[in-house]
Amino acid sequence: MSNGSYLRYSEIETSTARYWGLLIGLLVFAAIGFAAAHHMDVEGHQVSGMSNQIVWGLPHVFAIFLIVAASGALNLASLASVFGKQAYQPLARFSAIVSIALLVGGLAVLLLDLGRPDRIIVAMTYYNFKSVFAWNIILYIGFIVIVAVYLWLMMERRMHRWITAAGTLAFVWRLVLTTGTGSIFGFLVAREAYDTALLAPMFIAMSFAFGLAILILLLIFSFASDRRVLDPSHLQRLRKLLGIFILVVFYFVLVLHLTRLYASRNHDFERFILLDGEVYTILFWVFQIGLGTLLPLVLIYSPKYRQSRGALISACLLVIVGAFAQLYVIIIGGQAFPLDIFPGYLVESSFFDGVINTYTPSIWEILLGLGGFTTSILIALLSFRVLPILPEILAAED
Amino acid sequence: MIRQLESTLVIPAVAVFIALLMLFPLVVAAGQAISTFGQVAIPEPQAPQTARQCVEPTEVMRRDHMKFLLQQRDATVIDGIRSGKYSLVGCINCHNPSVAGEKIVRYQDPEHFCAGCHLYTSVTIDCFECHADRALETVQQSQLPGELTGLWPSAEWKYDSRLLTAQTLRHRPGSSQRVD
Amino acid sequence: MSTDPENIDMRPARRHFLKAGAAMAAVVIAPGILLYKTGQAQSADEPVSSRVRWGMLIDSNALDESDVDACVSACQREHGWKSSGNQTDAQWIRKVKLSDAQTGHVKFLPMMCLHCENPPCVDVCPTGASFKRADGIVLVNKHTCIGCRYCMMACPYKARSFIHENLKDQLPVAPRGKGTVESCTLCVHRIDRDGENAVPACAEAVNRGEHKPILFGDLNNPDSEISQRLRQLGATSLRADLGLNPGVRYQGL
Repeated sequence: MSNGSYLRYSEIETSTARYWGLLIGLLVFAAIGFAAAHHMDVEGHQVSGMSNQIVWGLPHVFAIFLIVAASGALNLASLASVFGKQAYQPLARFSAIVSIALLVGGLAVLLLDLGRPDRIIVAMTYYNFKSVFAWNIILYIGFIVIVAVYLWLMMERRMHRWITAAGTLAFVWRLVLTTGTGSIFGFLVAREAYDTALLAPMFIAMSFAFGLAILILLLIFSFASDRRVLDPSHLQRLRKLLGIFILVVFYFVLVLHLTRLYASRNHDFERFILLDGEVYTILFWVFQIGLGTLLPLVLIYSPKYRQSRGALISACLLVIVGAFAQLYVIIIGGQAFPLDIFPGYLVESSFFDGVINTYTPSIWEILLGLGGFTTSILIALLSFRVLPILPEILAAED
Repeated sequence: MIRQLESTLVIPAVAVFIALLMLFPLVVAAGQAISTFGQVAIPEPQAPQTARQCVEPTEVMRRDHMKFLLQQRDATVIDGIRSGKYSLVGCINCHNPSVAGEKIVRYQDPEHFCAGCHLYTSVTIDCFECHADRALETVQQSQLPGELTGLWPSAEWKYDSRLLTAQTLRHRPGSSQRVD
Repeated sequence: MSTDPENIDMRPARRHFLKAGAAMAAVVIAPGILLYKTGQAQSADEPVSSRVRWGMLIDSNALDESDVDACVSACQREHGWKSSGNQTDAQWIRKVKLSDAQTGHVKFLPMMCLHCENPPCVDVCPTGASFKRADGIVLVNKHTCIGCRYCMMACPYKARSFIHENLKDQLPVAPRGKGTVESCTLCVHRIDRDGENAVPACAEAVNRGEHKPILFGDLNNPDSEISQRLRQLGATSLRADLGLNPGVRYQGL
């Protein structure tokens, strides 16, 4: 039985050349991402695909994904510290550091996409407390601090008696954070795609799934590259958890769309997403539902693949693909559909009223988003190397 | 053994790297300063052409002009107070008055009043990303009809004469002393 | 009057009291009366107050397409923005063509920031740059705007524009710059100068004498022309179900 007092954690010891090669490669890629952001800052957002019609684009998809995944990645630590599931105890430090890494990456993408990123200090000193965005800034920074303290408590043996308190605080904080992230959209009355209280709990469900998928991938990768023993029983447990989380997300998606389809007022918008929307329809059915939900469920629950580590890895990758599709449909699909200002009239204007808005992500946005993702992976891998995060062995369960 | 070497070297290496990153611009600047010592003139911006003196003494302005501007901008934007001696439009009209037909001086040019000191001190001016850096007539001079959409009238059109400056705004309507 | 200690007459004391009381009351009330009078003529050095609420009434039946074009170009001239059909161009005011699917009726109207009483753009701005001034005008304080575009997501009327490129040659009355968000200011510089006699540029382009298809005025003053016309003829608030109580309303919809 895995027990914290018998378990040793240590830094990974991959061969120096490979490790540093990977690190430098990631660093270069992250630097390219930041250079892309700088280009957008110097030339203005005209070089991006975003416009006055599609106001938030691919960088926001990446940022929201990373932030949502960050809060979900803390789950394993919460299960251990708050809910007493000892089985997840060995992975608690790992879960905490990955959640910090993902949040830092997401925050970086979000802040670098601002029209005036030089005014970050203004953003931290002028507050409108009615704004969810303002609350989110406090929540994100607080999350990093709280989880960092939580991580330190886990690593410092003398502080173990505080772990439950810190873990509970981190858990509650991350629920508020994800609720806030979902409410960024849920509080907007202007657009039919948003304006629903359901988005907040749906984002919480999404966070469970996205965060766990990334954790599983990082776990397998880092254990494999350091040749540590990772007994399949641990992966089985995580696999089952992932399956449950995917089902919960699917439930929320079903409820959201079925409720909207019930009222004829929303039919035009639902028709756009589910049928007419070209890009968005394909993303929804093929990528979000097909590749992101159904196929991973098959890979997780089908007896043929139950023992296969490759199937689990594929399922996690597919969940991430589905995640991006889902956020793209929510964030960008929601903006593509025109505002209904004059019910009953057909509207035309020079400001693109009444038409489906188009959006093509530019290379700069793609680079910025990937740069942020890379930053997260970089922080995680660096921390595995310099801090005792990963357990030396994840042995078979009794 | 490499592992031990690495673990002792990582933190100092990172520290040295960050220190170099931060010191690099200083080193470059120091090099430039040393090589050009005595050759860069201390700026002496020209006195405003229209008024006899600025609203504050020069030494006060040199130190505190940002303080005045920061107070005035909040008063103008949030409270709608456009009078007062620290109005930015008033500053610009005096220090960079328009003479139609003359060369257009923008805030990046060294001849611009603000750029004179700001280039020397390497303090980036943020104001003119949004604000007009010169008085109105020379702004209009830059806007040739060809640059505008077809909806604009011809080049003979002139901006309405009711120009906002600290001097022209005195009272709101209802009082008998309205100055136009 | 009486100094006889055995026969103290209370009347002088009461009289004194009444005199003192009246004097004190006058002293207390008079400044209020004085200030009220001078308050009408607000000096340019005083902050704007919520005593007024600026609004506009747009009669869409009285505006044809060329009128609305004139509104748009007047705003462009006044503030120095231009739009050439790009997706990233700013539009403070735009010409909207409405075609009724049932009746075939076509109308044109100008659409700009509606200066709501409960603006969602103000609620969502993280720094408070998007704010409602005391006199009801919804503005962006570009000194504090960080360019997050959340207000653009929140606006139900798509009134806001983000500046996607470096600008030069801005007009002194309309500072605007890359990376910040902007929208119709109800010609706030004219309002600060002229008060209730102000005429926004769009209104100036189409109003002729007594014929005012775009009527600007003080919604809080029941005797203003706009309040009278609203009382007589009524008006529509766009997307009224959202409960935003816009300051700019339309007739003929």
